[in-house]
Amino acid sequence: MRILFKTIKLASLALLLGLSVSATARAQNAKIELGQLDHLGSKASETVDVNIDERLMQITAKFLSGKDPDEVKIKQLVNGLKGIYVKSFEFEREGDYSQADIESIRSQLRNPAWSKILNVSSKKEGSIEVYLLTNASQVDGLVVLATDPKELTIVNIVGPVDLEKLSQLEGQFGVPELGIETKPKPKN
Amino acid sequence: MKRLLLSTVLLTVLWSVPTLVEAKGDDFGALVKVVEEFYDVKHKGIPFLAKSGIKTATAAARLAGGSKKRLAEAGSVKLAFFEDQEFNARGSIANFRATLKATLAGRWLPFIQVLSLNDGAQTYVFLRDAGPKYTVLVVTIEKHDAVVVQVNLAPQTLAILMQNPNEMGKAITDDATTTNDQE
Repeated sequence: MRILFKTIKLASLALLLGLSVSATARAQNAKIELGQLDHLGSKASETVDVNIDERLMQITAKFLSGKDPDEVKIKQLVNGLKGIYVKSFEFEREGDYSQADIESIRSQLRNPAWSKILNVSSKKEGSIEVYLLTNASQVDGLVVLATDPKELTIVNIVGPVDLEKLSQLEGQFGVPELGIETKPKPKN
Repeated sequence: MKRLLLSTVLLTVLWSVPTLVEAKGDDFGALVKVVEEFYDVKHKGIPFLAKSGIKTATAAARLAGGSKKRLAEAGSVKLAFFEDQEFNARGSIANFRATLKATLAGRWLPFIQVLSLNDGAQTYVFLRDAGPKYTVLVVTIEKHDAVVVQVNLAPQTLAILMQNPNEMGKAITDDATTTNDQE
């Protein structure tokens, strides 16, 4: 009986460990590699690079006031998020960044776990691609790749996030104004 | 044999502890040196204004349009000033950034970098866990001036500043170099 109890205890521990490792692995997958774009900093006229990891996200969620209505709103917004990473480059000339630079991002998003959201429109000019990392019905991460001939912006949010949340994050935590419209345009 | 092994391990531990503490504690000095060597400039001592700012660290300061407490914890500010010198950023930003990151690698999180070639402005903010508080290192470089600041922040203050990371470096630098009289 004692051996059976020990076996069950060990099996439960192994299961718990497996689950936590799998959750960590998913979170890690949602964070894409952006360091390969650092070389663009020498060509760009403006560069912004923001790294807010899980610990820093938790500080925001934990230490903002639960009474101030604005801070309560932000607390709810960042609740569950595990990181926000932004790289943004503005160039004086067209062609200062290459297709290979964009491909280094897209190639990481070809994994079947990532899906490209089609028909995302923006008030801004240029192209905006939005990718979601989903696991069953849960979203584990998001990547926005915004390009125009003189600008390249990548936003990577790790954790449960959707377009609505993304639009609320614009202008905060280093997330630039992307102008993404979350509601369909009315038909004329 | 066992005794010899134990003594060797103990000696190694005792020898390495002060080195680690010293390396961790001197990152501010290391960054000031990086700026000096990279741009061939010399820093000045802590100006009088900054000193009085530190002494009155509990007084009210203006931040983000509202009246808040001073950001930095009293007595936690380290400051180095570079005034009226040449900081030519063109062609060297990437190298300078890489040198800064390498100097602090593994000990500090590179939180935000905002670089502008047009006006030669560079802002770097690095963060480190310091028990219940957070230590923040800010390097701000403009065409003719630069400031290196290290401060301890309460997590509540950090949480507020993180909402607008692009302005965080400026807010901390202004806070460390402003006296009550100037507010």
